[in-house]
Amino acid sequence: MAKEIGADRLGDFYKDGGKVRKRREWRGLRDTMYDYSRWLVIMGTLAKFVMKPRNVKAMFRYRWMANYLAVPMMVDRHTQGLRGEYLRMCHTEQDLIIDDVAKLLDNLFRGDRRIGNDREFSKKVVLVDENEMTAVMMGFPTLKGLSRETPSTYVSVLLNQHAAEHYIDLAQQFGLAGDVCPMPEAELGVSIDDDAPVLGACAIQCNTTCDGSLLGNGVISRRLEQEDGIPVFQLAAPLRHREDDVQEYAAQEIRNAIAFIEKHTGEKWDWKHYFECARRVNVATECRQEWLEMNRTPYPQVFGSNLALYTETNYMAICGKIPEFEKADRKLTELARQAFAKKKMAAKEYRHRAIIWGVQSHYYMDFLVWLLNCWGIVPLTDMLSMVSTRRIAEEDTPENREQAIYDMAWLTENMIMRNRTHGGYRVLLDELWEFTQQFNADMVILWEHMSCKALDGMHGLFEDRARELGINLVWVSHDLFDPRIISRQGVRDQINNYMRSVMREEPLDPSLEVLHDEESW
Amino acid sequence: MAVVLKVLLILALVVVGLFILTFTVYIFNLDMKLTALIEPWLLKHYDKIERDTHL
Amino acid sequence: MKDLKHLYYFENLLQEANNELIRQAQEEGKVCVAYTCENTPEPLLNLPGAFSVRLRAPRTGSVDIATYYLTSFLCEYSRALLERAIEGGFNFADCVITPDGCSMMNRCIENMELLKTMGQGKEHFFFEYMEIPMKGDENGLNLYVLQCRNHILKPLAEHYGIDVSDAAIRQAVAQHNRVCELLRAIGEYRKGDRPAITGYEFHVLTLASYACPKHLIIDKLEETLEELKTREPLDSGAFRARVVLVGSEVDDLDFIKLVEDSGAFVCADRFCYGSLPGRNPIVLNDEEDALTQICRQYQQRGQCPRYMDTPKMNARREYVAALAKEYGADGIIYDQMKFCDPWAYEKMLGAHILREEFGYPVLAVDRPYAIASSGQMRTRVQAFVESIEIKKLQGGVQNG
Repeated sequence: MAKEIGADRLGDFYKDGGKVRKRREWRGLRDTMYDYSRWLVIMGTLAKFVMKPRNVKAMFRYRWMANYLAVPMMVDRHTQGLRGEYLRMCHTEQDLIIDDVAKLLDNLFRGDRRIGNDREFSKKVVLVDENEMTAVMMGFPTLKGLSRETPSTYVSVLLNQHAAEHYIDLAQQFGLAGDVCPMPEAELGVSIDDDAPVLGACAIQCNTTCDGSLLGNGVISRRLEQEDGIPVFQLAAPLRHREDDVQEYAAQEIRNAIAFIEKHTGEKWDWKHYFECARRVNVATECRQEWLEMNRTPYPQVFGSNLALYTETNYMAICGKIPEFEKADRKLTELARQAFAKKKMAAKEYRHRAIIWGVQSHYYMDFLVWLLNCWGIVPLTDMLSMVSTRRIAEEDTPENREQAIYDMAWLTENMIMRNRTHGGYRVLLDELWEFTQQFNADMVILWEHMSCKALDGMHGLFEDRARELGINLVWVSHDLFDPRIISRQGVRDQINNYMRSVMREEPLDPSLEVLHDEESW
Repeated sequence: MAVVLKVLLILALVVVGLFILTFTVYIFNLDMKLTALIEPWLLKHYDKIERDTHL
Repeated sequence: MKDLKHLYYFENLLQEANNELIRQAQEEGKVCVAYTCENTPEPLLNLPGAFSVRLRAPRTGSVDIATYYLTSFLCEYSRALLERAIEGGFNFADCVITPDGCSMMNRCIENMELLKTMGQGKEHFFFEYMEIPMKGDENGLNLYVLQCRNHILKPLAEHYGIDVSDAAIRQAVAQHNRVCELLRAIGEYRKGDRPAITGYEFHVLTLASYACPKHLIIDKLEETLEELKTREPLDSGAFRARVVLVGSEVDDLDFIKLVEDSGAFVCADRFCYGSLPGRNPIVLNDEEDALTQICRQYQQRGQCPRYMDTPKMNARREYVAALAKEYGADGIIYDQMKFCDPWAYEKMLGAHILREEFGYPVLAVDRPYAIASSGQMRTRVQAFVESIEIKKLQGGVQNG
């Protein structure tokens, strides 16, 4: 129980085989009171959510809703060991995401034919993929672009490591091979299990991120179109997104998607609103770039799983549409500047500077917090945060209206993750080593999401290049949504073994080295 | 004046009481310990729901 | 039934990636364009002065080195190709053209490039990657045309001086169509109660048309067609069931052999190395440029699961049902190479739809690249054949 960073044995908070931890951290009076106040806010958000009868009804209808019991614990997992500005940054990000997801759920259940059945509202809903840039919704202020997969699978696994297992098993019972990516597999399982809210005037599916995602959508769209009567537009974003000769195709896909939405909702594209959103996208980009600049110095500030999770949400799902995220961007930047000026550190010692590459394990999103606390490895940035930094047109002029189509196409092509896993080896392989140099990193932690064929296919070349460049490359295998394949401890052991046997180091906090959290949320 | 003071005192006691209660829940993670007990019951409930399970 | 005259010759050709006909064509001064994936428009690789070879790795043994580079999670087809490239087995190629059909194929070819497995001593050698459409619409067609121009025609002209004019393309289509017409005519002999050619024999001929220079096999295909006209057909009871084989990259002769040895006659070949729709002739008119017409026909006929729009998805299953009807199939075998994402989904849904909506008995299997004589697969096919027979005995109740 201490005010100082790194004074606690964080592993002692875990209870062997327990679902939850023994107690929360005492971080000194000021930080504890801050954390407590944020906990109250989160409880308030949840209370507000359950006050509505339709949300309670949904809680008893959808299996994945049980995972939302674990919301406060997700925040606790990400704030482990944090003090001062880092604690505040983490809450700024996490609490906003929680608020946003709560609104998403509320909207889904409002329009859901089984729950709220608000038909007028449903007519203003466009269903979007979880793995989809929502740029095409930037010019529709009166419409709601809602993703069913985000709360049912993506967020659920962040909350509870076992959340997707039921759906994965179900998809396999229906004949799907067990070696595909468990993310679209789980999304498909939700559809098969009749466990997705049914609403919307139409749906926009996308081929991002991967072959599995594209094909899984094909099965989901069948149910949407044939049974639920919801027309689906499949938005095809080119794979070779860095090539000039695919941009016109990408742009035309955006034009077609907008026309489809207009046709099925009766709404018209609003350029004024689009450019306002575009301005916010640019603010987010500028802020992210500033954080990344700081991370190149010995005093990185916005990094780790918070950077990853926030960027994923802000860049892809929000895409300039929600003003609160602009405020959060600015607040985070301010906090980061403060901490940077004081040369603050998030752990008592930084031993290694690491680039995190590949696709992180969703069932262990707080692994990067562990990496820092247990071994003093600073996750400077991660693959999913290295998204487009191109400034998009934000002034409403006739030329910019044309440019905006290409900007939306560019953003869509550069959806998080697929901007690296697709588009040729340069974006996945070559640029990693450029970032390693730019960030002065001595280590690469390479998530090997074992069912991600696009990543696996560069395995040997990652090894070869790391060897040539003298970079410590640590493989961390996992199966994204399924901890039964490689458990959280299995993930940790890959680092533990490398750090002990190759680096010959002892952990900063030995209590974290082995945790019996198999049953934990 | 005495009434006002009394009301303030009661309010302060309520606030302190609420603080002690919620802070105890917070620091000992009682909220999560409670929800951990609810989850198995909910999962059993989901298993009982009739669903139109198909491709 | 007497053996086909050229069957042994073709079987031998298919034992090697670098077969004697490839060497012969190169000695004639032609450029060998290696490619992967059925979505690469073949006539464009067979312009005057060039010939295409679809990469395959016959007699694959260990794929250990490729597994190091690609891991064991990528399909064995991509690993077998990379292994063969690392071994130097594809050094005959003068260039490689590949679409980003699936992630695994893309990574396979990228590894070939980065590991410098090919092109040594070939001054003009190049790798080209193409974007190909994922939908059957006009926007997709425009992309297809542009990509073929930029990544097939332009590099072939620049590196090897190949004539890429409309007239040259039409000439290539004429040759392509001759091969297609022959194979389709030969394939007709699979129909009826007493087929005159087995699925295995037909697969040998079709595969040769992908793996050899076309102009060097036309005469033998013509002779084979003639031979079939007088060939004594199979006895009506030679096979216990007729099946359509549906899947992706089946270039393993042993797989079809195994299916037929297990009692199921492969009457139609809906897979990426098959003739349906891979050997559909390309019909050209004089009003529109040949390139656009070729791309449109490839796009319209494409059965690849990467086509993601609803009309194309529905058409895939309807096409299989139509083939089953046309070729008088009793059942359908959906096969998927292990670790193949696109076909994992297509197999699941296709099998379900063909069974539930079209009423066909369906067997869904996954398999390695080279199946050899897998007892497990044999048992599954035999059981499937028996189930079809039982249904027939029960009065033709097909469903369930």
